[in-house]
Amino acid sequence: MHSKALNTNQIMHQVIYALALGVGAVYYFFGWGTILQIALAVVTAIVIESAFLSLRNLSVKPAISDGSAVLSAILLAISIPSIAPWWVVVIGTAFAIIFGKQLYGGLGNNPFNPAMLGYAFLLISYPLQMTTWAGEFLNLSQAINTIFNLTSVDVLSGATQLDEIKTQLALGKIVGELDLHSISQAWINVGFLLGGLYLIVRKIITWHIPVAFIAGMVAVSSMLYFTNDQIYLPMQNHLMLGATMLGAFFIATDPVSGSTTPKGRLIYGFLIGVLVVVIRVFGGYPDGVAFAVLLMNITVPLIDYYTQPKVFGK
Amino acid sequence: MLNQSFSGGIIIPNPHPVEKVEIIPAPLPDQVILPLQQRIGDEAIPCVKIGDKVLTGQVIAKAEDHFCVPIHASISGKVVSIDDQTIPHKSGLKSKCITIESDGKDQWIEQSGCGSDFLHCDQATMIEYIQSSGIVGLGGAGFPAHAKLESIQDCHTLIINGTECEPGIMCDDALIQHHPREVVRGVEILLHICGAQRAIIAVEDDKQEALNSLLMYCHNDRISIEQIPTKYTSGSEKLLVKALLGIEIPSGGFAIDIGVLCQNVATTKAIFDAVVDNKPLISRIVTVTGSGVESPNNYEVRLGASFEHIVSMASPDANQHTVRMGGMMMGVDVKTTDIPICKITNCIFINNIEEKPSTQECIRCGQCNQACPVDLLPQQLYWYTKSQNTDKAMDYNLADCIECRCCDYVCPSHIPLAEYFSFAKALHRKTTEDQYRTDIARERFEFREYRLERNNRERAGMMAAKKEELKKKMANDKAQKDKIAAAMARVKKTKEASDDAQ
Repeated sequence: MHSKALNTNQIMHQVIYALALGVGAVYYFFGWGTILQIALAVVTAIVIESAFLSLRNLSVKPAISDGSAVLSAILLAISIPSIAPWWVVVIGTAFAIIFGKQLYGGLGNNPFNPAMLGYAFLLISYPLQMTTWAGEFLNLSQAINTIFNLTSVDVLSGATQLDEIKTQLALGKIVGELDLHSISQAWINVGFLLGGLYLIVRKIITWHIPVAFIAGMVAVSSMLYFTNDQIYLPMQNHLMLGATMLGAFFIATDPVSGSTTPKGRLIYGFLIGVLVVVIRVFGGYPDGVAFAVLLMNITVPLIDYYTQPKVFGK
Repeated sequence: MLNQSFSGGIIIPNPHPVEKVEIIPAPLPDQVILPLQQRIGDEAIPCVKIGDKVLTGQVIAKAEDHFCVPIHASISGKVVSIDDQTIPHKSGLKSKCITIESDGKDQWIEQSGCGSDFLHCDQATMIEYIQSSGIVGLGGAGFPAHAKLESIQDCHTLIINGTECEPGIMCDDALIQHHPREVVRGVEILLHICGAQRAIIAVEDDKQEALNSLLMYCHNDRISIEQIPTKYTSGSEKLLVKALLGIEIPSGGFAIDIGVLCQNVATTKAIFDAVVDNKPLISRIVTVTGSGVESPNNYEVRLGASFEHIVSMASPDANQHTVRMGGMMMGVDVKTTDIPICKITNCIFINNIEEKPSTQECIRCGQCNQACPVDLLPQQLYWYTKSQNTDKAMDYNLADCIECRCCDYVCPSHIPLAEYFSFAKALHRKTTEDQYRTDIARERFEFREYRLERNNRERAGMMAAKKEELKKKMANDKAQKDKIAAAMARVKKTKEASDDAQ
């Protein structure tokens, strides 16, 4: 006897659909690059996952159709620059599936968020490719040529807004002199925010992690901005730049590697938000979602143990 | 008004609703099979022989144990066998039963109780009638009513549970609708016995007819009728008390511990029959429902009649079915309908065979902990019970799980969580017992080692002391001998000297 509510496969599929708005915004501003990255990542994930399942003598079809590998692949593909060479996403996805998931025993057993593990691996190994972003809309042939490096095409590329701001601040400029606004980044964040709200409405994720995540970012960024508005960004720029909304609604909410108690989810989300700002402001990398999530993944067993709800009659 | 509800629980509509909740009397069965082993306590001792004629309501097996009630013939006729028969149990267990063949007359024994002005009877007499009439909890637990009533001290509130324990079951609703007078009078009897100030009859908020019937017959200031949300597990004693009174029964405790007596409505009606007429419990109302029957309904049937006896009345279709006794959530599957109805059989589910969805891995989504009525974390319990780490699972309050299967129901990966927990509890019990035995064995061994060592040490000490003594003695002896020898030598010398002189 089971409820008619969504099953695990349907949950994964719903999360994938909910990404569509954000991905649509990415396409609108930067063209085909990310779509191709997603295609490459999905194919890689399916091939690698199937191979590993057969090596482990497990049946391939049910595990592939649960959609979890595809979801990890898509999240990774969205996170990396849309014009990164094809082998970057292939290596990253393979790493995420093999070291992030299958070696721990597959779905449900991985302590780390596989997509973020893949991302961190790529960022450390290929920093140049991982920080060169498209600066304009790429049509299909431009995107194919760039990603597969077929003919040398000259596309506008550069650092992201967050990266640029960091560099300028390091050069001694003050916040007032900088261009803090990025229409594309804002719309992409709004896209993921709306997709995330859909997940909450459909009861696929609970509000705890995203709300606490954003609260954590607001708390730290406001505090810093209050102490010195010359070198620290106001909180609204933190919220609308980089991978904030993708991180808050789609990455930190990965149930497998995240905290699972109601109170624990608040602590977990809040501390990720805090770490994101701390890494952005004081760390060596322009964005901090991946490292923040991975660091907090480690603390999950501890958080869960100490945030058990009060049991009836105790 | 309701004080407060509990968190969790799930709303499941009746899967096979009926237009009118009826009680259809089942015809007298040709034979009844009455198991001697009841839910708890020792087996009852038969007091009839094969071939004996028995009357309806006659005691055929006596209770020796305090947690036992006597067993009555549910039809009149002849005892044909006293032997092992298949009883309602998920493993198809056999147990000793008395089989009676009907003579078709349904002749009753003579009996008389306190009568309709029962308030002149004292509590002890009433409890005596309740025990001798074989009343046990009819909600499903089967705990003897007299034992519960005797254990009461300082009871302030009586709660009559008129909620169906599970979706799909309609027998309590039917009973309230058709016997509201007996239920209300039964409540008065219970108030008289337990001395509580007030009684609350709880019915679910979608059982309007039941509520109206009760309101029509209830004219007692001390009895109130409350509606509670139709939510699965609100029929559970602990959660019902919480919903009505806002009090949480302490973990590991019972309602009695906080001065609350809970009784099911069907039990209350049976208590009324027992006290007023001393009428033994020989029939009950059973819901027959499920996807495999065309007309789900309630049947009043003699105890010991086979499941098949009433299932056939609900027009089962021609397909292959699964048979489940109890509700769709906490019931157990049995292999056949050829088993007797007993006092705790509240429902029979006849379902078409469905393919079970395959189980997937737990993704820790947390839907289970939102559904859990006692606020556990089933996803964590699963993680630790799967690896048989029962100590850790106990840290996560495994022992408080009521096995209601709400978590199973909502699990998107279709994991049979409650089965894991039930297994883990048993495993924990076993390891604790084993540990206890090992500890005792180790203590014994260590004491033995210590004792042997102590004996050796003592013996060695004694030996040493004895040796010392002996040495001393020998030394003493030597000195004596030397003295003698010296004396002898002197004597000899003197003698020689005297000899020489001669």
